Amino acid sequence: MKQKMKRWSWWAMLCVCSLLTSCYNVGESRENVLKVYNWADYIGEGVLEDFQQYYKEQTGEDIRIVYQTFDINEIMLTKIEKGHEDFDVVCPSEYIIERMLHKGLLLPIDTVFAHSPNYMKGVAPYIRQQIDKLTVPGDQPASRYAVCYMWGTAGLLYNKKYVSAQDLRSWGCLWDKRYAGKILMKDSYRDAYGMALLYAHREDLKDSTRSVTSLMNDYSPASMDSVEKYLKLLKPNVAGWEADFGKEMMTKGKAWMNMTWSGDAQWAIEEASAVGVDLGYTIPEEGSNVWYDGWVIPKYAQNPKAASYFINFLCRPDIALRNMEENGYVSSIAAPEIMEACIDSTLDKEVDASYFFGPEARHVKLRNTQYPDKSVIARCAMIRDFGDKTVDVLEIWSRVKGDNLNSGLVILILLVFVGLSAWQIRRRWLHYKRSHYKRSRRKLRRK
Amino acid sequence: MNKLRLFFLSRRSWTLPYLIFSIIFVIIPLVLIVIYAFTDDTGRITLDNFRKFLAHPEAVNTFVYSIGIALLTTIGCIVLGYPAAWILSRSRSSYSRTLIMLFILPMWINILIRTLATVALFDFASLPLGEGALIFGMIYNFIPFMIYPIYNTLQKMDPSYVEAAQDLGANSFQVFWKVVFPLSMPGVVSGIMMVFMPTISTFAIAELLTMNNIKLFGTTIQENINNSLWNYGAALSLIMLFLIAATSLFSADDKNESEKGGQVW
Amino acid sequence: MQTYLWVLLLMLYAPILIIVIYSFTEAKVLGNWTGFSFNLYRSLCNTGAHHSLMNALVNTIAIAFIAATVSTLLGSVAAIGIYNLKARSRKAMGFINTIPILNGDIITGISLFLLFVSLGITQGFTTVVLAHITFCTPYVVLSVLPRLKQMNPNLYEAALDLGATPMQALWKVIIPEIRPGMISGFLLALTISIDDFAVTVFTIGNQGLETLSTYIYADARKGGLTPELRPLSAVIFVVILVLLIIINRRADKAKNK
Repeated sequence: MKQKMKRWSWWAMLCVCSLLTSCYNVGESRENVLKVYNWADYIGEGVLEDFQQYYKEQTGEDIRIVYQTFDINEIMLTKIEKGHEDFDVVCPSEYIIERMLHKGLLLPIDTVFAHSPNYMKGVAPYIRQQIDKLTVPGDQPASRYAVCYMWGTAGLLYNKKYVSAQDLRSWGCLWDKRYAGKILMKDSYRDAYGMALLYAHREDLKDSTRSVTSLMNDYSPASMDSVEKYLKLLKPNVAGWEADFGKEMMTKGKAWMNMTWSGDAQWAIEEASAVGVDLGYTIPEEGSNVWYDGWVIPKYAQNPKAASYFINFLCRPDIALRNMEENGYVSSIAAPEIMEACIDSTLDKEVDASYFFGPEARHVKLRNTQYPDKSVIARCAMIRDFGDKTVDVLEIWSRVKGDNLNSGLVILILLVFVGLSAWQIRRRWLHYKRSHYKRSRRKLRRK
Repeated sequence: MNKLRLFFLSRRSWTLPYLIFSIIFVIIPLVLIVIYAFTDDTGRITLDNFRKFLAHPEAVNTFVYSIGIALLTTIGCIVLGYPAAWILSRSRSSYSRTLIMLFILPMWINILIRTLATVALFDFASLPLGEGALIFGMIYNFIPFMIYPIYNTLQKMDPSYVEAAQDLGANSFQVFWKVVFPLSMPGVVSGIMMVFMPTISTFAIAELLTMNNIKLFGTTIQENINNSLWNYGAALSLIMLFLIAATSLFSADDKNESEKGGQVW
Repeated sequence: MQTYLWVLLLMLYAPILIIVIYSFTEAKVLGNWTGFSFNLYRSLCNTGAHHSLMNALVNTIAIAFIAATVSTLLGSVAAIGIYNLKARSRKAMGFINTIPILNGDIITGISLFLLFVSLGITQGFTTVVLAHITFCTPYVVLSVLPRLKQMNPNLYEAALDLGATPMQALWKVIIPEIRPGMISGFLLALTISIDDFAVTVFTIGNQGLETLSTYIYADARKGGLTPELRPLSAVIFVVILVLLIIINRRADKAKNK
């Protein structure tokens, strides 16, 4: 009886297993599936569910969302370009959008919706202008293909207790020996390249012989050499190349300066104030880069209609606000209610955000991690795609980050291998001798 | 031929399902790695993937460095794990079983969370992250795989060998070095196999524990596969497979190795 | 001497202790203390709030159970087969069996990835389960085989002599003998399946499937660890600990009887 029960339970288990497996393979029309490929942690909790409801209201159709995340732009690009994967809507950074435009990998976004207004118009004109700089000559403007989602700057997150405001006026503080071992760098070759080149040309920037925009996109061999030289000088000062842990190290006071993105900085400042650490964010006077992540519809998308609805939905001010709250980054939508929500009356400084929210935002208390002052934005520029120079820049980057092999390890490896081989040879030799001995004994006996 | 034989002869065919499964999911995939490694994107046979590996000092560097770290980890695991296995094998069986359970238990917490917690631990103790933290983290993750095989062989060892050696006048060091250690070799060897290779191919952990200053070979392979450089990634995997084959050569002589020491739990 | 063991265990448990301690504070960063609170547990229980995390957890458990069940069946059958093979083919099978163990996660993952890609199979739940079966079964075989070797072969013969059919003899004699091996194989398979990351990440495909480990990986790469993972890990840990204690107690009692 007991055995039977056992058998029965095995079968039940098997059935459950096969059921579970088959659940995942139920065929459904591709029109009812939307495949979203986004950065991790880049969307408000519950927004996807709300979109399903919204889509149902708008079109009367059900939609299932397949939501996938990536953490590196290039991985996303290779999946689409080489793998022809059928993501309907993806969110790359500006240089990848540029590359995709040049390779003809994008579809224009629908802006006409049956029952819903076009919320994409809410994107700040400043942002639209920037995105349009990516336009391929002879093609429609880039803003037809890409709708900016979040944007921000690269700058310095610093601990107010240890770093003086005077030092922070220039990127030179990163090279300052006093801060050695307390500096974290974002593990991003593009930001580091731009920053190093700006610092290398700090004198030219002061007397305006070079502009930030021209420097950010200068890949001449001379520039590459000076970037490599400067970054190699920087390396001994750097404690780590962070992908995400920079903000944690900063809130714990383990590192004093972190070259990072504004959204991470915002996150860290908030978290640090909860544990009584005072962090600040600044963009040194040489300038920096400003970046944009935008939604695009790849050529291989199979549901561009739902994708357009999705992008439009994300541009709705209340949804944009929810997404902003999730990750600390700043939405491209310039709606009054967003400004209202971002105003922090405890700040002692006002910024001029008129470039973004329009003339009424000349003197508002906004955080500089979110909306930098107009004067700061004026010395920031977008880093365009390196194009075929990417490989060279990456090689510089890997040379800078360099090798960590020390001679002690090599000697250890050699010793172990020599030891093992010697041991092995000795064993074989003994084995051979023994069998040889046996054989000769046997021969003797036979005689 | 008695009935027993007859029955067991028919039982042989029971290997078939697993054999077929293994051929599809173990053998063929390995053959595919070899095929991919020696071809390029278009399917032409080429050695370019290996040339590329040799032409990039960073890749070779990472490879050698990973071997070094793996060696240190393995040595660390033996040094720390052997005494533990020895003590365990001497204890009452119910007690040692409980302790063994306790050694497996951490595996139920996701490896990345454990690693992040290790980072927090180092922060807490104000220790610097880097090579030291990396080796600590690696030993921490792999020491159970060293303890069990050694424990298994030690437990099965006949204690009369030790007594005999003692009676013959060996001091305790000699007893250990001449009797106990050689007898536990199969366990040590399979422990080494289970620690050394996985260490080289670990990814994600090294980055977290060294603030991205150190990259191990596993990460290199993963990056290439992710960037759709499948052929190059396969070539790198094949290089690792050669290393595996080389390490297992050192243990090939030990008869019944897989039967004696291989059973981990 | 025992103290050494306990020190080693303390070292192994220190990180887990940290997770448990910091699950009682709200700080987003692991290692910052912002006062004692149960808020993380509350927000974890609040099912709507962490949909994707719970989804990943369910997937992980489903995959682990399916893979462990199938590999226990497959592995036990194979072990009985291998036990009855002649020495040479037994050695060959033993070798094939150890390949996935020796290869390490990453090679297993890549080789299976290449297999699925070459066959044009869309990767998703099924491929992850198949991959997990691939690297779990060898461990089951290795934990069942010794049981078979310890078994007294005359037992089976006796059963046949007493009139049992071979099938009955199998169910009543062999299976009970190897059951402890099967159970420990099952538990082991469950453990390594849940802990696995490298194989999963290569076979998970792009259908939006997420397991706990891929979720955590993506999470750790961008935006830091979701704080709710701390109470989740703490709960998993305590549940498993209690289960193991109960199992152990019962085993001890059974032995004493």
